[in-house]
Formats: sequence, C-alpha cells, structure tokens
Amino acid sequence: MTSARLESPPAAPPVFPAPPEYPVLTFTGEDRELTDRLLAPVRGVGIAWWSLFLIACAGTALFVFCMWYTVAKGIGTWGNNIPTAWAFAITDFVWWIGIGHAGTFISAFLLLLNQHWRASINRIAEAMTIFALMNAGLFPLLHLGRPWFFYWLIPYPATMGVWPNFKSALPWDIAAVTTYLTVSLLFWYVGLVPDLATARDYVRSRFGRMAYGVFALGWRGASAEWRKHHIASVLLAALATPLVVSVHSVVSLDFSIAQLPGWHSTIFPPYFVVGAIYSGFAMVLILLLPLRRAYRLEGIITTRHLDAMAKLTLTMALMLTYAYVVEAFIAWYSGDPHERFTFLSERPFGTYAVVYWLMIACNVVTPQILWFKRCRTHAGILFAAALAILTGMWLERFIIIVTSLHRDFLSSSWQGYAPTWVDLGLILGSVGFFAMLFLLFVRFVPFVGISEMKRLRHELAANGGKEVGLPHA
Amino acid sequence: MPALFPWWANSVARASLLVLVIIVVGVPIALMVWVRTSFATGQHANVKQPIAFDHRVHAHALRIDCRFCHSSAAIAAPAGLPPTAACVGCHTTALNESNTLAPVRASLSTGKPIEWRRVNALPDFVFFDHSVHLAKGVGCETCHGRVDQMAQVSQAQPLTMGWCLSCHRDPAPHLRPESAITTMGWSAPVDAAALAERLMRTNRVQSRTTCTTCHR
Amino acid sequence: MSDDHDHESPSAMDRREFLRLAGASIALAGLDGCTRLPAENILPYVDNRPELTPGLAQYYATAMCVDGCATGLLAVSHVGRPTKIEGNPDHPASLGASGAIEQASVLQLYDPDRAQAARIGSARTEWSAVAATLAPSALQSRVGASGKGLRLLIEPTSSPLDEALLARVLGAHPDAAVHMYAPFSAERAGNDLVPHYEVGLADVIVSIDSDFLSTGPFNLRYARKFADNRRIAGPSNPMNRLYVIEPGFTSTGVAADHRFAVRPRDIPTIAQALLASVKDPNTRSTPAWVGAIARDLTAHRGRSVVIARDASPAVRAIADDINEAIGALGHTAWYAPTPLIGRSVRISPFTELVDALRSRAVDTLVIVGGNPSYTTPASLGLSSLIRSVPNAGYLGLYENETARDVRWFVPMSHYLESWGDARAYDGTLSIVQPLVNPLYASITPADLYATMSGQSGTAYELLRASWAQSGTGNTPDAWTEALKRGVVAGSAYTPAPARPSASPPRAAAPTGATGTIDVVFAEDPKVHDGAFSNNAWLQELPSTITQLTWGNAALMSPATAHRIGVANGDGVKLSAGERRLEVPTLIVPGHADDAVTIHCGYGRIGAESVARNVGVNAFAFAPALFATDESGVSVAHGGARSTLAIAQTQPMMENSQPVRTATLAEYRASPTTVGIRPERVLSLYPEPAPPVGMHGPNQWAMTIDLATCIGCGACVVACQAENNIPVVGASEVHNARIMHWIRIDRYFGEHEAAVDALLQPMLCQHCEKAPCEYVCPVEATVHSPDGLNEMVYNRCVGTRFCSNNCPYKVRRFNWFDFNKDLSETELMVKNPNVTVRERGVMEKCSFCVQRIRESEIAAARDGREVRGSEIQTACQQSCPTNAIVFGSLSEADSEMVRRRQQPRAYSVLHDLGTRPRVQYLARIRNTNPDISNGV
Repeated sequence: MTSARLESPPAAPPVFPAPPEYPVLTFTGEDRELTDRLLAPVRGVGIAWWSLFLIACAGTALFVFCMWYTVAKGIGTWGNNIPTAWAFAITDFVWWIGIGHAGTFISAFLLLLNQHWRASINRIAEAMTIFALMNAGLFPLLHLGRPWFFYWLIPYPATMGVWPNFKSALPWDIAAVTTYLTVSLLFWYVGLVPDLATARDYVRSRFGRMAYGVFALGWRGASAEWRKHHIASVLLAALATPLVVSVHSVVSLDFSIAQLPGWHSTIFPPYFVVGAIYSGFAMVLILLLPLRRAYRLEGIITTRHLDAMAKLTLTMALMLTYAYVVEAFIAWYSGDPHERFTFLSERPFGTYAVVYWLMIACNVVTPQILWFKRCRTHAGILFAAALAILTGMWLERFIIIVTSLHRDFLSSSWQGYAPTWVDLGLILGSVGFFAMLFLLFVRFVPFVGISEMKRLRHELAANGGKEVGLPHA
Repeated sequence: MPALFPWWANSVARASLLVLVIIVVGVPIALMVWVRTSFATGQHANVKQPIAFDHRVHAHALRIDCRFCHSSAAIAAPAGLPPTAACVGCHTTALNESNTLAPVRASLSTGKPIEWRRVNALPDFVFFDHSVHLAKGVGCETCHGRVDQMAQVSQAQPLTMGWCLSCHRDPAPHLRPESAITTMGWSAPVDAAALAERLMRTNRVQSRTTCTTCHR
Repeated sequence: MSDDHDHESPSAMDRREFLRLAGASIALAGLDGCTRLPAENILPYVDNRPELTPGLAQYYATAMCVDGCATGLLAVSHVGRPTKIEGNPDHPASLGASGAIEQASVLQLYDPDRAQAARIGSARTEWSAVAATLAPSALQSRVGASGKGLRLLIEPTSSPLDEALLARVLGAHPDAAVHMYAPFSAERAGNDLVPHYEVGLADVIVSIDSDFLSTGPFNLRYARKFADNRRIAGPSNPMNRLYVIEPGFTSTGVAADHRFAVRPRDIPTIAQALLASVKDPNTRSTPAWVGAIARDLTAHRGRSVVIARDASPAVRAIADDINEAIGALGHTAWYAPTPLIGRSVRISPFTELVDALRSRAVDTLVIVGGNPSYTTPASLGLSSLIRSVPNAGYLGLYENETARDVRWFVPMSHYLESWGDARAYDGTLSIVQPLVNPLYASITPADLYATMSGQSGTAYELLRASWAQSGTGNTPDAWTEALKRGVVAGSAYTPAPARPSASPPRAAAPTGATGTIDVVFAEDPKVHDGAFSNNAWLQELPSTITQLTWGNAALMSPATAHRIGVANGDGVKLSAGERRLEVPTLIVPGHADDAVTIHCGYGRIGAESVARNVGVNAFAFAPALFATDESGVSVAHGGARSTLAIAQTQPMMENSQPVRTATLAEYRASPTTVGIRPERVLSLYPEPAPPVGMHGPNQWAMTIDLATCIGCGACVVACQAENNIPVVGASEVHNARIMHWIRIDRYFGEHEAAVDALLQPMLCQHCEKAPCEYVCPVEATVHSPDGLNEMVYNRCVGTRFCSNNCPYKVRRFNWFDFNKDLSETELMVKNPNVTVRERGVMEKCSFCVQRIRESEIAAARDGREVRGSEIQTACQQSCPTNAIVFGSLSEADSEMVRRRQQPRAYSVLHDLGTRPRVQYLARIRNTNPDISNGV
C-alpha cells in the first residue's frame, strides 16, 4: 500500500555535495512570532492594499465590460479578420495558461525532488496558478463565435446524435485545462487546511473563526491527521506532476496540428512547456518580491530562494533560446519556401519585426544577466527582469499566432492585423481580474505555509542547522 | 473557551459534501433527460386551430386521400395546405350553413387566407422535402402518426435530429409499398424483411446521413 | 404572380419579423434542436393556383436594357418572388450568360431607396393626378395646340411600343420634340449605323481603346465568342490572338496576348501608323510593334478585325479604313442599323434641347429615365437649366439628382415589374415580361406616353395592340412562343451594305502642354454611368484590376504617381481651366504613363442612401458632352487622404505560384511543363482509390480555365445572389472581412518588358484531404460521400480554426449579424433554399449544394440517378466565357472531366497534399514572336 511505503522513512537521506551557499531559513524567533508575521494580513490590511485593490477592481470592471460588449455585438468588435482569424484572445489564453504552470511545478516537482526551499513559496505559486487558469479559461470561451454553444465541445449524449470531433485538439484542450484546474485547486486546498486551522484559532471575531473553521474541516493537528494529510499531498503531487507537462503540450497541439508555416512543428510540446514554466517563474517573482518586502519576510523568503528561482529561470531561458534556434534552423533546412519565408523573412524583417526583436530582447537577452550572482540575489533587478520576461512571453505567443496567419500560402489573402480597444481592454482587464483575486488571497489566506515553515525549522534544528535530505514536506 | 461549532456540525459538513456531488452529477443528467421529454420537443402538444377541422371525418370516415388536400406532398418540398377554394369545393353542398365553416366562408368572401397554426415545425436550417420521402416509400403515418384518429392534429414524433437520423441511418424498416403510402394503420406483411429489402432496391434507397442532405 | 403569399412562411406582411426569428430560432433550435420553435402560422392561398406550386421555382423569360440595348434573361421566381437572374441561351446578347449588372438587377428591384410615390412640387400625390396634367388637351392649354413648348428627354430605348406611342404623342403635339441622352451610348438613332464584329470568326483581333469584352452592348456575346476560339483542347489546337491598345487597364486588356498602354493623345497617331503599315508593309512604323501587328493583320486577311467601338470618331474612321484594307469589312466587321428608336419618330439631337433650354423656349420638359442632371458635364449646367423650366417632370426609379431639379416626379417600374418590349444590339426583338406587380405606385414609360397621347389601357394591352399592328406575334401562338423563348425569331436587322458614308473628319491628334496629363473618363463596368450605383452588390464587387470596392479613384501608373509624388490614398488635384476635381490616388501597374483614368458613376448626391458620397463624380470634371478623355490637364498632389476599400492588397505572387502560365509556343514545345499531372504530386502515403469515404455515385468537381477568364466578376455577384451572401460595407472590406465565397485573385507579373495581370477565380477547393475538416472541434465541416466539403452552419460554434488551417483562405466568418438591418423588401431577395447565416458562424462555397440536392430529389421522384451534367453552379451558369465548368468525375465524357485531362491542368498548392477537387487550366498566351516589348 502506498501509505505504508511513504510512512517508512527513506533509507539513506542524500547529503548535499556541498553545503548550499545561502541558508534556506534565516528567521530566528519563536514559532509564535513566525505565526504573527505570517498571519499579519489576516488581522487586517493597510492603505496600500486598499489602493491596489481598488485599481484591480477597476481593471476587473473593464474586463467584464469588454466581455459583455463582445458577446453582445460579435467578434467583429475585435481586430481579427480573414486571414488573421486568431489573434489577441488566443495570445492571452496561451499566456495565462503558461503562467499557470509554475505553481504546480514548484509545489509538485520540487516536492518530489525534495527541495526544502520550495516550502516558503509554494503557497503563493499555487494560488497564482489557480487565478491564472481562471483567466485562461475565459478567453477560449469568449473567442467562440457562438459562446452559448460551448458545451458542444464536450462529449455528452446529445439528442442530435452527434459527438465532438476527437481528431481536433480543442476538445482535448478543454479536458486538459479543466483537469489541471481541478487538481491544482485540490492540491492547494489540501495544503491549506492546517493553516486554515491555525487562522481559525488565531482570529478573534466569532465570524472569522467560524469562516476559517468551516474550511479547516475541523482540523485538530492530531498525528493521525498529519499522516493522512501527508499522504494526500504526496498523492496529489504525483497526480499533478504529469499534468505540468501534459497541459501545455495539449495546448501546443492547437497550433502544431495545423499545417500553417510557423505552427506545423514537432518541437511545439516541449517548446511550449518550457516557455510556460519560464513565464510562470517570472510571475512568481513578480508576486513574491513585493510581498517579501511588504511583510518583511527576508528571513523566510531568503536570498537562497531568489538565487534558486533565478537559476531555474535562466535554465528555462536557455532551453527556450535553443527552441528558437532549432525552429529557424529546421525552417531553413527543410527548404520549404513557406517555412523559410515565415521564419527567415517575415518574422525577423516583416510587418511585425519590431515585436519580434522586442521578444528576443525580453526572452533571450534579458535573462543573460542572471549569470551574475549580484543580479540573481538582488530583488530589484530580479523584479525588473521578471517583468521583461513576462512581457516577452506574451509577445512570443503574439508572434507565433499573428505572423504565421497574416501571411500564409496565397499572397492574395495577405492582410495586416491591428487590435481594437476591445482587444486591449480584455488583456488589461484580465490582468486586473488576476490582481484582484490575488490581493483577496493575500488578505484572507496564509500566503506562506505556516505549518510547513515550522516543520522546516524544527527539522533544521534537529540536524543542527545542517540542511540534509530531510524527509520531505 | 466554548466549542466553536455545535455537535451536529460534522454531520452537516458530510451531508453538504454529498449534496454537492449530487448537484454536480445530477443537474447535467436532469437536463439531458428534460430535452428528451415532450415538454421540450413539443410532441403531442395541443395546437388550437382556427377551424375545428376533424381529420377523423375526412381521412377516416370519408376516406379522402391525404394528397387530395395536401396536394404537393408528392411533387414538392412542402406537403401543401388546401386553398380555401378546395374546402368550398365540397362544402358548397355539405354543411354549407354550419358555423364551424364560418371562417372558410369569410376567407372566400374577403379573400384573406385562413391562418392555420403550424403543428410540425422544423428549424429554418432544416430543408425537409416531402416528395423525396414519398418517392422512397416513407408513408405519411411514419412521421405524422394516426392522423385519421386525431380530432385535432398534434405532433406525433419528437422531430429531434436524433429521431431523423434513426431512420436515415437504417431506412429499411420504415419503408412501405407505394400503394400504402397514405394508408393509416398499415401493418407490414409477414415477410416484412423481404419487402423492405425489395423496396430498398426498387426505390434506390440508401442511408443518407451526410449533413447537406438536410442542412444547406 | 400578384399574390405574394409565401406558403411556408408567415404572410408577406411580417416576413421581416420572420427572418429575424429565423436567426433567433437557429440559436434556440441549436440547443439540440429540442427547444420548441416560435409558434408560426401557415397561410394557404384562397383560390386555386394550378400554375403555381409552393416549393417549386418557376422561370420566366424577360429582358433587361442597358442604354436601350436588351439582354435576354430568365428570371427565377419562388412563389411570386423573383430571387435570381440567369441568361437566356436563345438570346443573341446573352447566349446563356449574364453579367454582374444583370445578376445584381434583382437586388435593385427590392431596393428600399427606390422612389415609392409620385409628387407634384413637394406634395405627395397619385399618378392619376399627374396624368390629368399630361392629357393632350391639358398639355395643349399649356404648350399651345402645336405643342411648341413641349420637349421629351428620354433615356435610350429600342422598344417598338415606346416608338409607336411616342409617334402618337408627336401626333398630338406636332411641334414638340423628342431627345435621347445617355453619356456612353454615342448619340445614334433611327437609321444611323452601329458597328458590329464577328469576334468568333477572327483569329487576330486588335482592340483600340475599346473594352468590348466587359462593357457596352453585346459584351457578353463578344466574350463568349472570343473565349470559344481560345479554349484550346490541346497543344496542337489553334488559338486566336488579341492585341489591345488602351490607356487604362481593362478586362479586355487582361485578356490580351499583347497589351500596349498608350495615353489617349497618342492613340490617333498609333492608329494612323497602323493604317499606314497595313496599306504598305514597307513603311518604317514607330513604334516597331505597330508594324508587327499590321503584318499579323494582313497575314490573316479576312480572319482578322480591328475593334475601335468606344474610341473617338476619328479613330473609329481610321479603324474602318484598316478593316477595309484587311478585308474585314462586311465579313468580321460590318455596320447595321442601331436598335434604338427613331424610324417612325424623329429623335432630335440633344444639343438642340440644350439650346432650347438656354433660350427659355421650353415650357414642359418630360424626362423619362436616365439621370441627365448627373450624367451631363457640370460645365453644361443642365441641372440649373432644368430647374428653370416652368413645368419639368421626371419618370425615374429613384429620387436622384434629376428628380431634385423637376417640379413633378413619378416613380418608374423596374423591368421585372413591367410589360414592354426591347431590341438587342442586333435588332432582335424580345418581350419584357414582369414577374411581380409593381412593389410601389410606379408606371412604365409606355403608360406615360399613352397618357400623353390620350390613349387608355394597361401597358399589357398597349403592348398586345402594338404587336398586333407591327405584325410580329399578332397570332396568339406567335405571342406565347415569343413569351416562352424570350426572342422573336428572325427579327434581327440585316447588316448594312457599307460603312457609314460620311465618315467624320479626321481630327489631328489633340496635343497637351508638356507636364500635363490626359484624363480618361471611363464607363464603369459595375455601376455603368451611375444607373446602378445604389446597388450594394455591385459597389462591393472588387474591380478586376484594382480590387477596389465602394468607390473610384485616379488610376495612374507607378511612374506617374512617382512624378506627382503621391501614394495610394493620397489626394490629387486635377485642374483644367475653371474645372477642378480632387480624387484619391490608386496606383495601377500597367496603366499608361502621364494619364489618369477616373471611372464615372460615383460621387452621387441623390436620395440613394447606398450610393451617396461613395467616390467622386467624374462628370463634374468632364469637359464636354460624350467626351471620353481630355488632354492637357494639370495635376498636383493635394486634397484629403482617404482610405480606399481594397479587397486584395498584395500585388505579386510571392512564395507560391497559384497561377501558372506559358506562351502557346512554350506549351507546344513541352506540353507537360506548365501543368502538374496528379502523378507529379508526391505523397508518403499510398493513394487510396477511391478516396476514403467517397463512394457516392457522383464525385463533384470543377475545372476553371485561366486562359479564358476575363475577370468580369459575373460569377462573384451570381454567387452572392444564389447563396444569400451578405454585404459588409466599405469599412469592413477594408478590415479584410469581405464575405464573397468566390473571389477573383489578381496578381501582377512581369512579362518581358510590360506589366501583365494574372487572374484566378478562387473559391473553396473542396479538398479530398481537407485541412479545415480535422481541426473543427464539433464536426461542423465534414466530407460528403460525393466529395463535397460540407459546411454546417447550425453546428458551427465559430472557433475559426478551419479558416486558420485553410491554405486558400476561402472561408468567411460572420463577424457581425450582417442581415440585422435589412429592410423587408431586401429580405425578399434571399434564396429560400439556402440558410441565412447567423452571427458567429463560418461559411464558404458549397458548390451550390442546394442545387445538387434538389436535382437529386427531382431525379429520385422520377426514380433515376442524377447525372453530373444536369447541374450548374451559379458561377458557372453566369460565366460569359464558360471558363468554369462543374460536374461529376464519374461522368467520364463530360466537358469538366475532358478539360482536367489536358496537360495544362493543375491544382493550386498541390504540394500540400490537399488534393483539391477544383483544378485550373494554366493560362496560355498566344504571343507574337515578332514582338518582344509588350504583353
């Protein structure tokens, strides 16, 4: 039985070849202080939070309005045309899905890979994943010409006696994204339960305690509960890990099953997954660094974390660069005039050349600064780099979609593409919506795993501060 | 400090989880069932006509052939409704005083058509053709039911796409000889299979499920 | 026909609401087709109508006139609702073909902008009230017993009925005069002679400044005959050769084997040079190609012709001399009496009317049809002259510019509402037969003339009477025969023995100061002289060469544009003397240098909402009556920039070679190079035969011959009419959202020294391995057993993935609800056999599947299989050059199959392995080896 195996401690805990440069935890204080520090926002928030929240709400309102306007008037309110039948909305969709990948990667992958430093950032990453997916899910729906028939993409016994087309990537897309959302949500919640209990016992107002109490599912902290909880998390981690790879692979098929030059490519699944995790890390950094600053968490989210995140980001950047190079090379090597045109002429020197080179600057050039320790460990620089990368990844999707479409096989149908205010409103609005959700999360949910942090401290203490392969989580 | 939750809280929690599952699973199933009911399909729905025209009298008692009034059924897409003149043709002598027929007389004098209510309605993107169904050996009764027993005609079949397809996928069992096309209450002979096989051949009947058969 | 009740839909009264519901019910019924449909009534007829079975379309022969010359047509009617126009194979001007204008005329019938009531001053009134003032007695009290102050200005007509009635009008008012005007029908009447050409007999054709294939009377016939001698079945077959000498780039120019862009002021010189070298082969002609053409003409003595129909009188006279010299006259070129009236009634020159108006000698001016206030040069000031007439009246389709200038107005009936008669260009007589009672309180010119000559009776009675007198069709049989066939056999005029005796004086070539340019005022192939500019189908039809929709522009060569310093859309200021005009630039490769072409018929300011302020009015700048060009115009950059709604923005073929082309010599040298035989298409997979899932008795396919396509656009409009394709308007065309299912791609190619334009009708290729099909998540586009790529609107959710994956980009998306704002009458033009698409669904060419399925059903009723050759697609049916043929691959002896077996057959983007069912025949150009500097 799984549980049985997991309960038994691993035979020989692996020792780090060299002790890590930066300690994973520099916080020195009582557990009580730790709790106070981590539950501060639950007690109440300041003017900064409120001002940010109002801006986010405004963004959300814009989002809702643009969605209503699109559904009321039609897709014609966007800049899309023939040939460019997909543009901003799909770019936004892929972008958000990609962002949604870091959460599970950090929690699940690193959990299984026994990386302790993940403990203090996985909660934020998971929350981000869920909110990103909520955004991502809206765009394909909105993108339909007749959104009210979205359920025809779902296999169910219809009185029409017809089924979806399983040869197309889109029904699988829906399956992949919904599965991912469900699992991420469960994973996040399961990890959250003990902390909710802490919050329950921490807040004063009866309503607050009731509220947290309901979601804490009567958690008492009995060792039996801990054991079950631990098993559940590991099971979910095992379940979520393959999803990290599968979801964006399926999304990439939306493009690679088409024979369009610039889409029709076997490199897409790994290429997209790497890009996804890359943008995800960027988003984590963008959310993490301000929080760390605002709630003085330098002792908990330490230089070690920044360094590790930066290193991973750089790795992804290099893999992505490799993908770019290979794409171009294959296009040239194939000798296909259309492939060559798209990769060697239209993208670098064509209508959207500026966008293309901006993308290269953001995704390929910027991360190179992370070779330097100074930059890896400097919060400000990291934040700036992350912003650049996140933008770059959006531009990458735009380039893939629009440059391939607007000039394909017959020049008679070549046309330009330009977004309308609705297109812009939707992407800005979705960012606002995301920000609103995240701010609410910070306000009401412990955004760093309290129990995990405490456990980490005690385990470190037990090993005399030496960081060895601890029994994970 | 006092207990935060009453003693029954856990039961409530469990119960609500159960309810959640029931909703998630049950609602879609309920919807799928509902669209198959006559509430959704309009089957057997009561349609009030401007004139109390009784098919039992005309089709059953008087044995008038369907095509006498629905004259274009065999030659065109719509089956056709009789012009007022056709009604009057007989009713100048029969029941020419009856109040039931007042609307007919009114129509004849004013030249305004009688506004019948549609009973068997298909969406506009469905191009149904009566003539080809007759030509291939599909009887009136197959889709319209025992009209000769209806005081007031109502939709006899669900008319869902699935229902159409059930026959289009396997037409053989629904065919009848030309002599029985308008027969009401026709029952297949003992060698039904042989007959079906023969009709499939002679009438060149194929299973037609390609979309543009009906959607153009 | 009068009763317009539609059996299968609610009464005509609330048809608009019904169509709205149609949209709604598509949405509702989409919910598994299980949600109940909106309650609906069925209205049977009151009386028996043996002639009319709801659900079965009917065909009636009739005729449409442009500038008085009739084209015989067959109009399709659904329960009393004309919805489609086809050509009449028995009619000499049609031969079964129909042009864009004829196709679109059915939309004009339902045009909500048509005038709907008569008026006197600004007071609405009845026709009867106007009629009272027009009765002979009433008029005589105004204009005197002799009718001195009475003038009629009518649009050109060839109707014997009108002629007879006009004669009676003049009988009642002896001193009155009848004038006839239209800007592009050179003023001829009575026994004047008009040029005729037997294009079919000519192996060498030289066209001087004459777009005879796409404009003017008989253009459909000429196109058909021209194509028949060009559609070579194999490399060894003969092929005619066409030289075109023209300033602008016309459809005729595209069809040419050699085209020479010459500015107007040089054309007479060229013509003279040609005449000289034809007369004496040894003359050193400049430029050299003139000599080559002359040699070709004389070498094909009796089988060659020079066409100068639309050129200036001087050039026409020169052309006659050439035709005489090469033995064409009386053989491939001859003269015959004009079909226009003027035998039994005297038609006075238009200039006389202008003089009379200037001298205030006119009390009552009755204008019938046309739009003289707009179509006459502004410098003439006709508009204000008409205003000065005490009692001016106008019988017209629209409250247009002319209607504004007159005191009283009466709506004129559309030809589909009128009884009448008309002659074709060669004099062949046809009956104009109505399909519906007039939608509005309108009358025909015959009704007007009858009233003015004190006769009573309906147009029908008058027509029967005049036919009885004229002797044609006075027996009932003859009459019904004429009605059925649409022509009176043997009524064509006999050719005149000789050319017009007094040929106009040879004008010296007009000269313009250096630095100035020549301006060409061209007849527009779409909106003619503005008569059809309120027709949205024609406005949205991309022009062959420029791909311009919704408007006109100053067309000029790249060199000229560079000299002036303007780019597309920039305004240019034209000025000559007092006259000024601001026009947006549109650069056309292959246009003559130092010349600008402006198409007429735009810049309308009448009450027509579609036409208003679309483009600029070229008549406002025209120098004189009937002037087709002007030299010495100064031009400069200036005026507002404007966005032109151009359907195709890319000039060149770039990475692929969709249009394949070879000269006849090359083709004969190696026949298999230009085409691509199926075996040349490589695939890693074994070829399934027959293709998977395609087992139907018929396998539908199409072959398009690029050697004969002249890009007239008839197919585009025919498709629009047949398949309920919406109009999107200028801004949406600019946004690349035009909805046409078939488009005519235009690519410019460098052929030796000169610019060449390649045309290609592009529609859904119905690929056997269709990229669009496997990406659709809901199987809204699938393959039929008979090889059609089906598009199921009611299943489509609008992911648009199919369009992304279509390498031909022939799929169209309903970005908005394009049918939302249509008027009740506009909805009546919709084809009841085709779904009106909802917002948010894809659509595309279906090979007119409704026609296929109906033919199959008809065949099933008679217990037989349908034959491929029974079915014509709308585009094929209208095509004047028979470039498009449709049929079944299983019918081996059919024209369609025979054509695609030629070595020049190929499929576009064959290397993608889509296996299109549409195949093209490479364009073959029969170039003259002696000429190297021209196309």
